[in-house]
Amino acid sequence: MSSLPYPEAPQPRRSLRTEVLENRPVNKDGFVQEWPEVGMVAMDSDFDPRPSIRIENGRVAEMDGRERADFDFLDQFIADHAIDVDAAVEAMALGPRTVARMLVDPNVSRAEVLRTARGLTPAALLETVRQMNIVEIMMGMQKMRARRTPANQAHCTSARDNPLQVAMEAAEASLRGFSELETTLGVVRYAPLVAIALQVGGQVGRGGRLTQCALEEATELDLGMRGITAYAETISVYGTESVFVDGDDTPWSKAFLAAAYASRGIKMRFTSGTGSEVQMGNAEGRSMLYLEIRCILVTKGAGVQGLQNGSISCIGVPGAVPGGIRAVAAENMIASMLDLECASGNDQSFSHSPMRRTSRLMPQIMAGTDFVCSGYSSTPNYDNMFAGSNVDAEDYDDWNAIQRDYQIDGGLQHVGEPEILAARSRAGYALQAVFAHLDLPAITEREIETAVYAHGSNDLIPRDVLEDLKGAQSVMDRGVTGLDLVKALHERGFADIAENLLTVLRSRVSGDLLQTSAILDANLEPLSAVNDANDYAGPGTGYRPTGERWEQMKRLRHVTSAENPELEVS
Amino acid sequence: MSPTAFDPAADYPVGVKRPDLLRTPTGKPISELTMQNVVSGEVRPEDLRIAPDTLRIQAEVADASGRPQLGQNFRRAAELIPVSDERVLQMYNALRPHASTKEQLLAIAQELESGYGGAATGALVREAAEVYERRGLLAEPGA
Repeated sequence: MSSLPYPEAPQPRRSLRTEVLENRPVNKDGFVQEWPEVGMVAMDSDFDPRPSIRIENGRVAEMDGRERADFDFLDQFIADHAIDVDAAVEAMALGPRTVARMLVDPNVSRAEVLRTARGLTPAALLETVRQMNIVEIMMGMQKMRARRTPANQAHCTSARDNPLQVAMEAAEASLRGFSELETTLGVVRYAPLVAIALQVGGQVGRGGRLTQCALEEATELDLGMRGITAYAETISVYGTESVFVDGDDTPWSKAFLAAAYASRGIKMRFTSGTGSEVQMGNAEGRSMLYLEIRCILVTKGAGVQGLQNGSISCIGVPGAVPGGIRAVAAENMIASMLDLECASGNDQSFSHSPMRRTSRLMPQIMAGTDFVCSGYSSTPNYDNMFAGSNVDAEDYDDWNAIQRDYQIDGGLQHVGEPEILAARSRAGYALQAVFAHLDLPAITEREIETAVYAHGSNDLIPRDVLEDLKGAQSVMDRGVTGLDLVKALHERGFADIAENLLTVLRSRVSGDLLQTSAILDANLEPLSAVNDANDYAGPGTGYRPTGERWEQMKRLRHVTSAENPELEVS
Repeated sequence: MSPTAFDPAADYPVGVKRPDLLRTPTGKPISELTMQNVVSGEVRPEDLRIAPDTLRIQAEVADASGRPQLGQNFRRAAELIPVSDERVLQMYNALRPHASTKEQLLAIAQELESGYGGAATGALVREAAEVYERRGLLAEPGA
């Protein structure tokens, strides 16, 4: 048989077109079929409960087809703490299509939707968003977002946990417009130095940026109590009892922790997201969005001001199933619809495809959320210690162009290089001074000079890690606080940065940052859903970038002058 | 000048509009938290904590803006201020699943209620004890 042209089984001939498509980045992404029995389904599952409620003696006696005696702990917490029994019967009677229309209809005010939403059960909220396509969900987000002015959050991390890099990234991120700055660690013992660096860098220039160091709960709370960080967000909740217990918590333990944070004046939000339960192996046969709605209601019931959601670190799970990214947008909208601050994801490597990465952002950046990303990597992705973000430092100019294209405010602006270099340099010298004052391992001129002009940690002079870790330990042992940082900055000639940090610490004493969606504005005064309530009521109303802010957003790295086509303005 | 009544619907940010109402837990007016006083050492780390009355004011703001659960969280938080950092974390750990017997949880509720005037936090812990019992999330006695 040696005369046969193909000694092995013949391959069907492939077109050159198919080859090109096969090699597109999108085909490195994972896509799977739905499997509702195990919860591998975004929001359309026959296994989800149908909406119902029965109130007896001022208490929920039955909810979504389950009698009170059979409630799991989430059902009970939601029934007793999240649902307003006085609003429930009327709200449930409206039916999902009416509520969905209220969300979209500009003639129905945000306040009116809130009055209805507080009486809805998890299944009723699910049925409501199932009526809505992505554009309607975005219209809901636009109206229901708690704070009128959108904002953004940055990740400031370093693959080498280099505090100098983190301080400079924080200063640059602040200049570029981020209102919150979050860090985390590769080596956890580095935390005190990196958290100090973030806090100092976030107060350079305009300052007043709120900082966070994501760690296990006890250490995170400890750094917050010392005033080295300003807020916390990695307090996870889950949508099934079994996964909640696997996470070693209950709605009651988390509600207690929420009170503990507030008792120390520290702003806090919970974290949850579609796909976490199925990823942790126990979705109890419910859809991802149904379970996430339970998380949102637990957050509401615990009296927490806000939630980081939008699948977060599980984005690969909803990203793989049909309608998954629609469900992710829906979970953000429901958080807003329940009057919670929403830090809306877009914070994890999601796709190999640049088109899908951009498409992922569209609902949140177009509609505007309290924090469009939670957060945006202020470093190249290799330095991102949250396992990479959907957008990073290399996307800054693209982001600014998208804002300008659509006149939508994603919280950022283009900043010229001289200003950025000056801020990075000042952050470096300020941290050098603080380290010297606190007798921590020295930061040299050469390290600063190198880091100012660096892109990522590969470009930096390595630190003596063992010495730094000893220093980090001594920060904890000596009980260094935010006040020590203020003194160090002031005494070493960085009075403006010291003043900004003192203002952040003073805002803890006033408690103003504990209210929903609070950030500090350009005057370092609290701006929240209380004094900047979303007043969207249809075309011509609500937040729109205009005036000075719009002029700022029109600037890009390269814009050709109208008067002289040979000239660039920026 | 007679003190003006607090208007929770209009007086936010409290630190900007009504600093006269705000004191540190050590009794200093918030206006004394100046750089000069930090440098001179008059402001201590314990001055940069929130006071129970401040949290009750913020609870009124939350209620007035239609957020009763948030207000209730602030009221629970006000009760936890006098509890030491260490004890707060112990209580949190005791509330984790399978961490405590019913008696241990009820003892914590009692401690909050009688030791700190913590009616709201005590109630939360009592409620947890009931739910944990029904859902099999208590620690085995003697385990």
